[in-house]
This record gives sequence, structure tokens and C-alpha cells, in this order.
Amino acid sequence: MELSSFVQNLMNGLAIGSVYAIFALGYTLVFSILGIINFAHGAVFTLGAYFTYTLAVGQFENNGLLKGINIFPDGSPFSGSAVMFGLATILGACAAGAVAVLIERLAFRPMRSRGADPLLALVSSLGVALVIVNLIQLLVGAEIYNFPSDAYGEVRPALSFQIGDKVVIIRTVQLIIFAVSLVMLAVLGYVIGRTKVGKALRAVAESPSTASLLGISVDRFILITFFLSGFLGGLAGTLVGTAFGVAGPYFGVVYGLKGLAVIVLGGLGSIPGAVAGGLVIGLAEAFVPAEYSAYKDAVAFALLFVILLVRPQGLLGRNLIQKV
Amino acid sequence: MNRTKLKVSAAAVLAITASLAFAQKVESPVPIGVAVAQTSNTALLGQEQVIGARFAEKFLNARGGINGTPFKLVFQDAAGDENSAINAFQNLITKENVVGIVGPTLSQQAFAADPIADRAKVPVLGPSNTAKGVPQIGNYIARVSAPVAVVAPNAIRTALRLDPKIKKVAVLYAQNDAFSVSETGTFQETVKAQGLTVSTLQKFQTTDTDFTTQVTAVLNADVDLAIVSGLAADGGNLVKQLRQLGYKGLIIGGNGLNTSNMFPVCQKLCDGVIIAQAYSPSQPSAANQVFVKEYRAQYKKDPPQFAAQAYAGVQVFVEALRAVDRKKKIGTWDLGDLRVELNKQILAGKYNTPLGLISFDKEGEVVQKDFYVAQIKMKDAKTGSFVFLK
Repeated sequence: MELSSFVQNLMNGLAIGSVYAIFALGYTLVFSILGIINFAHGAVFTLGAYFTYTLAVGQFENNGLLKGINIFPDGSPFSGSAVMFGLATILGACAAGAVAVLIERLAFRPMRSRGADPLLALVSSLGVALVIVNLIQLLVGAEIYNFPSDAYGEVRPALSFQIGDKVVIIRTVQLIIFAVSLVMLAVLGYVIGRTKVGKALRAVAESPSTASLLGISVDRFILITFFLSGFLGGLAGTLVGTAFGVAGPYFGVVYGLKGLAVIVLGGLGSIPGAVAGGLVIGLAEAFVPAEYSAYKDAVAFALLFVILLVRPQGLLGRNLIQKV
Repeated sequence: MNRTKLKVSAAAVLAITASLAFAQKVESPVPIGVAVAQTSNTALLGQEQVIGARFAEKFLNARGGINGTPFKLVFQDAAGDENSAINAFQNLITKENVVGIVGPTLSQQAFAADPIADRAKVPVLGPSNTAKGVPQIGNYIARVSAPVAVVAPNAIRTALRLDPKIKKVAVLYAQNDAFSVSETGTFQETVKAQGLTVSTLQKFQTTDTDFTTQVTAVLNADVDLAIVSGLAADGGNLVKQLRQLGYKGLIIGGNGLNTSNMFPVCQKLCDGVIIAQAYSPSQPSAANQVFVKEYRAQYKKDPPQFAAQAYAGVQVFVEALRAVDRKKKIGTWDLGDLRVELNKQILAGKYNTPLGLISFDKEGEVVQKDFYVAQIKMKDAKTGSFVFLK
């Protein structure tokens, strides 16, 4: 492989891998607190993109119930500049976080309070995911929606430099995705590692009953966890949507599966593992030879399979020690 | 004695059932099925077909329908997958008792659903199936959409006229879509026949959104022309990402990109894409001039190819039904017999449609004379038009 191709693929892989990482962090947070996988996370990812689109554009045009309704009669206040679009992105992610909180109340808490098998909560979240996806289809149709091409200002490659006789080009949106992902990872790392909220979250993750005895409101911190998880999922949805378009209600399904692969690859419940897993899968996909790139999803899962054969606990997961 | 009575009763019941099954009269208004994509990504094409078919229904019924007998279109959503198309066809044939079907939208769906209609002896007119082999599915299958092998090469010839220096070509296609696979074969043959080189051949899926890998390969191959065979959503997205990553050469889009519904996908970056057409609003036939006038009045833009082809599909059915009606009044036909006769009549007739004068060969392949090439010109982020090149 030429150096220019290597650098280009590296950039492409880091950009998409960092999105996988922040998306998978949402899975990881919930798993580390409740020990279950929230299957509705892919649907929350989709919702985040749709919420931001609603704020930034304010009108759906195809064949759902909301067809032709102007949400902002005088044009969206969230369009026209990169700053306003950034604000729409944050609000969209917050709305996705609110939906995740609602999912916790509807799908997880009733099961938890009855001491139900974790598998039931997993199936319940899968049901919620399907309801959300179908609701999106009913309201806004099954079509692709695209953010305005100048959402981040003028569209042009942000960086281009020559290596040998080839030019390496990095899209503005790729840089933004990478930068936002890094900032989010740093903020989350700080919150979890250095703040009271983070300590409380870690205490709940370690032992909910002990945390409760220490005066920590377990239910409240579970809600905070779900909000953070939904926020990250929704943000990832918008980032992917701005890069590639919001590809209909089922947009989050593939990312939901990839997110699962990422957290298993990185090590269940490990935050650094989710980041490492995301980057590994993103880079693996980017380096799939171009003529086989239609099979890149299969490559991601094949890689997962191979790594799990070698390290069943994932890249950064800990070996489970059975107490006897 | 009782046994004899029982046998007689059973025979009577059987006879009544058989007569009910085999002597079904044609309903009035005469139902014609339309099974196209109203949901899924394919709806970007299907919505235009619905509009075209509705235009034909309104216009042809206003002109007396089938020699005074009105007809009605019965719509079923065939979505973008094979199962939905099969269900739509089955509903139209068994529940709605249609005389024939216009549909489905995709060639891939045609290969799955058309055999069902063929076995039930229900004539089908494909409004947009352009893959190789569709008319050969069965005796009851025909199409008004000219095959890609006839239409697509025109786009490459036009690109060479616009830029005679073209030497290296990138070919990209959706490998999970039968039509795109068929179309890319035609494109590749034409590229070779014109003495050009396929420098890179890239595959993708119609469900893909991230084309970074493919685009990177195209840029590294340093090509002068990129040819994209996909559907409106993925194809538009691919065009967008090609331009965003700095590809500056010409782009040819296949028939799946031949819709103004692609404009919101690649927005201003759709500008300059070349697409071969089986239809032009400037086609001088009387039928087309009326169609264009009505369409412009309602939608403030020129009709797209998919709408014109769906209109032509309905028109062919109605004109063939008129010819059948002249032999024996439609209302007196048995439904099964009418379907058989209608299929014969479709293949025998000549039709002056918005596509120009068309007829069919004995296999059901459309015989069409006029083809065009258009280039997309975007006015702003959402509105654009297909400008026809000489």
C-alpha cells in the first residue's frame, strides 16, 4: 500500500472509529451500571439525528404524517451558521438523552423492581427499539433526509496535502467528528474519574446495594447514566448523519450491531475498551481493500470473532474471577 | 339411496364452486393494478410512478375510459424488497381481481414477483425494470421501460463528446441490486468498446451510507470519469461524497439516479451528473405534449422519466382494453379469459405514448425509437432540473 493511501485510510478510519467509540460508550455506561445491554440504543442514535434535523431544517417532505408541516414557520432559527447547527446538535443529543431516560422508566425499571431476569429487560428494550423505529417511519416516512450541505459552513475539504504524487483529502465533517468525539471522550473521562457524580456512578456500578447504604440514590444515578448514554448515542447519530445522510428509520440498526461488536471487542463495561474497540473496528473497515469495501461490515464482525477466540474478555476487559 | 343423494349433492356443490371460481366477471370500473414502491428508499422512484399513473387514470377516464366503461387504478405498496412486491402482486391478483398489473419498481423485485403473475396468467407491464431478462420471465411479462443495454451507452458517448480526453474510468455499482448489477455490465462493456480503461471497479450496497473507502480508491486511481449504478438514495450520497472529497471529473449516473428526488440527497453537488434517458419532456408526440402541460400546471416542473413511463404503462393497458372491448364488451368477459386476450392484444398493438411511439416484440420487450441524455443543473440546494443535451 502506498503511503498516501495508508494516511488517507488512517484518517478515514479514525473519523468513523471515533463515532463508533462514543456510540459504544453509551452501551458501556448502561452495561457497567445494570449489567444488561440496552438494545434501544441504536434507535436512540437514529432519534438524535432526526431531532437535530428537525431543529436545523424544521420540515419533512416525503410521506409521513408530518409531511409538509413547517415546525418553524419563518425558517429554522438553528440554520445558517455552524454555531447554530452546533447548538441544534447539542439540543438534539439532549432530546435523545431524555428519550433514553424514558426508556429506562418504561422498559428497565419495571423489570428491575420485580427482580426479573436481565434477559427480559433486554427483550423489553428490543421491543421499545422497534416501536421507536416504526413511530419514526409513521411520522416522517422511510426516506433519507440530508442535513443542509453547508451545515458546517462552506463545503470543501478541510485539509488536503500531497504525499508523493497523490493528494490526501480530509473532509471538514471528518475533522469535526474526530474533534467532537475526542472532546466528548475527555469530558466523559473527567466526569467519571474526577467528579462526585462519577464517583457515585462508579459506586453504583460496583454494588448498587452498598451505594444505597452510603446514601446514594441508585435510581437517580441510573437515570443519569441513561441520560448520558442517550446523549452520546444521539450525538453519534447526528455526527454520522451530517457525514453520510440520515438513512431512514432503520439507520441505527447497523450502528447498533457495530456498537455491540465494539464493546465486546473492547471488553464489556470497560470505557477505555469501548474507545479502543471503536477505533480498531473503524480502522479495520477503512483498511479493507477498496474492491471488497462492500463487505466491510462482515470484516468488522469477523475481526470480533478472531479477537474473542484469542482474548475472550476483549481487548481491555478483565478476566472474570469466579468466587467460590 | 342416501349415498347417491350425498354424491349428487357433492357434485352440485363442486359444480357451483367451480362455476364461481372459473366464471368470474370483470368488475366495473375495470380494475388495473399498480404495484410500485410507496415506502422504503425505493419510494424516491415509486412516488413519481404513482403520480404518472394517477395522471393517466384522470386523463384517460376523462376521454371515455374503455369505450365508455370507466377504469380504476388499484394501488398496492411494493416497497423496495422482493417480499413486499410478491405480497402486492398476490393481493392485486386474488383479492382485487385486477385485469393486469403495472409494476414493480425494481428489476430485482420483478424477478421475484412477475413469475407469480405469469403463473396466474395476469399480464404485467414493467414501468421501470430495465435489467436484462425481465421480458423473458414469462409470456405474460412485458415492459415499457427500454432495457439498460439500449439506453446506458448513450451516456458514455455523450461524456466522451463533452471531454474527448477521457481515458481512465471508475465504475461503482450496488452489488445487492439486480438492476444495478445488470446496468454496470452494460456500462463496462461500453467503456471497453469505446477504448477506455476501467481503472477501478468498486462495489457497495444500496443500504450503505459511508462511501469513504470507495471514494478514496477512485481518487487514488486518478480517473477522468466515474460511472455510478445504484438507486437514488445511495447513488446520490455517493455522488455527494465523491465531490466532497474533491473528485472533479465527470460523473455518469445510471437509471436509478434518474429522478429529481436525488436532488435533496446530493444537493448542489448533484450539478453536472450525466444521465441517459428513455424520455424527454420535449418529445413531440401529442400524448406527451398533453402530459407535460398537465404535469407542469400541477407540479411547476417538467415530468421525470419514471412518471412518464408509469403513465405509458397505464395507457398501454387502457388502449389494449379498448381494442379487446371492440371485439366483445368488457363487461361480458370472464376475468380469466380477458386477462389472456388482453395479454395478446398488448403485444399486438402500437401505442403513441409520452415516450413516443412504442410497441412490443413477441417476448414483451419494448420497441422504442427515441433516447436522450440529460445533465443535472442545480439552481439551489434543493431545486434543479435535467437539461437535455444535444
